[in-house]
Amino acid sequence: MALTTARMKFYIDVKRCIECGGCEVACKNENNVPQGIARIRVVTVNEGQPGETNIAVPCMHCSKAPCVAVCPVDALYHRPDGIVHVNKETCIGCGYCLYACPFGAPQFPKESAFGARGVMDKCTYCAGGPDEPFSEKERRSYGSNRIAEGKLPMCASVCSTKALIAGDAEEVAKVVRARVAARGSGGGAWGWETAYPAGPRF
Amino acid sequence: MAGLANVFGYGAMTNSQNDIRNSRSVMIIGMNPAENHPISMQHILTAKEVNRAVIISVDPRFTKTSAFANMYVRIRSGTDIPFIFGLINIILAKGWEDKKMINERTYGFEALKTEVAKYDPDTVADITGASKEELFRVAKALAENRPGTVIWAMGGTQHSNGTAVVRSYCALQLVLGNMGRPGGGCDVFRGHDGIQGVTDVGGGPEHLPGYYGIAESAWKHYSNVWDVPYEWLVSRFKSKEMMEKPGFTVARWYEGVLLDPKELGQDTNIKAVFFMGHSTNSMQQMDRVKKALEKVELIVDFDPFVTNTAVLPDRTDGIYIMPAATNYEQPGSATNTNRDLQWRQKVVDPIWEARTDLAIMIDLAERLGFKKQFIHNFKRDWRGVPASMKEVKALPDQTVEDVLREINSACLSIGYIGQTPERLKRQQQWAHVFDIKTKKAEGGPVDGEQWGLPWPCWHDKHPGTHILYRLDTPASRGGAGFRAVWGPKAPDGETMLASDGAAPVGGPNAGYPAQKEYATDLTQEPIKQALAEGRNPYGNGRARLNAWNIPDPVPTHREPIHSPRPDLIAKWPTYDDVKEHYRVPQPYKSMQKPDWVKKYPIILTTGRIVELEGGSAAERSSWWLVELNPEMYVEIHPKLANDHGIKHGDWVWIETPEDMDDKPSRIKVKAKVTRRVGPDTVFLPYHWGGVFEGKSLADKYPEGTAPYSVGESANTVTTYGYDRVTQMQETKTTLCRIKKA
Repeated sequence: MALTTARMKFYIDVKRCIECGGCEVACKNENNVPQGIARIRVVTVNEGQPGETNIAVPCMHCSKAPCVAVCPVDALYHRPDGIVHVNKETCIGCGYCLYACPFGAPQFPKESAFGARGVMDKCTYCAGGPDEPFSEKERRSYGSNRIAEGKLPMCASVCSTKALIAGDAEEVAKVVRARVAARGSGGGAWGWETAYPAGPRF
Repeated sequence: MAGLANVFGYGAMTNSQNDIRNSRSVMIIGMNPAENHPISMQHILTAKEVNRAVIISVDPRFTKTSAFANMYVRIRSGTDIPFIFGLINIILAKGWEDKKMINERTYGFEALKTEVAKYDPDTVADITGASKEELFRVAKALAENRPGTVIWAMGGTQHSNGTAVVRSYCALQLVLGNMGRPGGGCDVFRGHDGIQGVTDVGGGPEHLPGYYGIAESAWKHYSNVWDVPYEWLVSRFKSKEMMEKPGFTVARWYEGVLLDPKELGQDTNIKAVFFMGHSTNSMQQMDRVKKALEKVELIVDFDPFVTNTAVLPDRTDGIYIMPAATNYEQPGSATNTNRDLQWRQKVVDPIWEARTDLAIMIDLAERLGFKKQFIHNFKRDWRGVPASMKEVKALPDQTVEDVLREINSACLSIGYIGQTPERLKRQQQWAHVFDIKTKKAEGGPVDGEQWGLPWPCWHDKHPGTHILYRLDTPASRGGAGFRAVWGPKAPDGETMLASDGAAPVGGPNAGYPAQKEYATDLTQEPIKQALAEGRNPYGNGRARLNAWNIPDPVPTHREPIHSPRPDLIAKWPTYDDVKEHYRVPQPYKSMQKPDWVKKYPIILTTGRIVELEGGSAAERSSWWLVELNPEMYVEIHPKLANDHGIKHGDWVWIETPEDMDDKPSRIKVKAKVTRRVGPDTVFLPYHWGGVFEGKSLADKYPEGTAPYSVGESANTVTTYGYDRVTQMQETKTTLCRIKKA
């Protein structure tokens, strides 16, 4: 365990995510997220065909976060541990972050097509918000604060195949490094068809 | 389970999900763990990543599991035996079989060889739809990557020859020499967390708890266990004959209501039906179930949610919906697919009017007049059971512990002895000292124990048996041969005991019969004596490749009752009709009509999806699960959809043959156009209920109890077809036609 400042990260292992949806349901249950809002969503490509791949997409809590850069009122900010939070009392609902984010993390209540979007809501890394930890105000505005309890985000805690890993970037990197080393490359792990294009081998 | 029991002696998964971490090949056939057993994928993917294990997925659908396989082979639904025997055919031709395992530990190899010779690669390719090259590649991968495990679930068993299908998987593993070793085994995954336990304690209609059967000797054993006179047990039945006659099964109980009593194996029709945690939308031929629910006098449905049962029948009276407590509202043990027992703690007291299972059962016993006998074995705290159960919602926790203690004292045959409440609770406290791969504890007060004390666990110091039929471990630590349950000799005079040199270490190095009376002597002395001499109490026998006392002693292909191939029906027909099977007539040949395919040209198969479970009254009442998968649908290949003018999201009618009624069964569902299925097959998930043949039943739910999502039940259109041995429903294969609604 390193005595450096933690920098919290998610890593989503596409060789392991099976689209069970456990992260989505656990997130909603933990944070009481309303219908239609997805703080995390599993995306599947090539469904039903060879190459079918799943990836869970929460807020990635970017180090150089585009949402933080474009926010005109500085409602978005980094905590010292790298978690990106939104202050819902400052947010004006302009939606710039939605366009800046490459992951589709910012969510809006969508009250009507041309009316106000409402203030932005997104994955908090289960770390509550800028309000007093464990306060009723924090819980109602942002959901639970598992980080302050010393726990992992709920999605990572329930992941059935440990595809979604969370924690200090150093620790997450160790897990990923061990997996990649074991998998290796070429035909062994993923099949010759994946390693080499189809066609005569010799 | 009957398939495994008839080969090896015990009807349970032989290894564990964790043990797949030791496998070098994993063949997943007729199952989809990524959706139905998501946690098990941790172990399967670890085998793939760390061992470079070859993952082979064999299924009519390209499932979410297939997406993670190195090899995917699409076979036609209901052709498992030709596929497996095609593999064995290649393995024998190439000399890849494990001769030592076959010679020393199996019976009936020559009979198997004769049958397997019929399944040459060309024949198999024609029947299954898999190519010869695919077949050869799979056989080679299995031979080159040992130990390997074969995993299956309902895709293997829900066929009219399901038991034979299971035995073919067992034969493959025996021929490859994959039995009784880490990373090998026949790993059937049970469908729910406690369903192995339900089977173990006598859920079937032909067994008392512990697979004792229902013959006189079995009842006498239980008259000892329950400390009641045998004559009193007899007096509870109409006659001794009925006492020893297997009852109806969950698959076809409704025929006991519908058919003329003259056709039944008993004098009268069924008058009342009592559901406890079972849903009617998971029962095949649900249109017949509906008729039975309309005719039967009394329906009682114990469940935490209002199920399909309450709204399906058109009747206004005689349905009693009773609130049962959930597993969070009561303690108890559960036995999972690994044969592991785990203690559950109560989280909250039962809320509202909900009552615990035990309170319900004791109240029922009280009202039926045998409460005194029923609670007799509650030694520690039976005084905690009130004089009248009428208002009682739950009982002291100790009474639930006494239930497990009674099982410990009774189920000697399968070694349910050492899993005491005290040990299970201690494991709960020390869960962190168990290794994920070996499931063994290192250090602490549980040192050396296997997680869950998997049965057989012969006494309260025994570690449990993680891997069945393993010879490199002494009997005292879970070592064993195959169960010597078929007597010393087969009918043809061959020995049924293992060869010299093929016995668990630390005891006599030869085959030996079961210890006399080990399963019925309540003092457990025979068990202790056998273990003291290094012998496994149930003996050291041979696995049966030829199970002489059941239909199709050596498995053989039989086309599904509803087969799309008239030419193959002629060559590989189904069974002869059976006059009585579990008290109902069970026709086969007279139901298999080669011309169904003319009117119904598409294969229909059913299964489960990850968001929902079983009849799903609970899951469809969860807003978040409904949000992920809100509507009932049918999966259709793009070509089939285009040929029928159906677009993604269109409403379609699915219609299936009028095999037991005068009109086709039909459901109206939305089309999901996907390449998961081939162009000859459509797939229906079976979890929905609350809509019948296009008509919503949502208004029939008591106010405020309707689930968020109602939909057509797949089983409205599943057709006749039941396993020849267990009567398991053939929900995996039938025929249908589709048209745009």
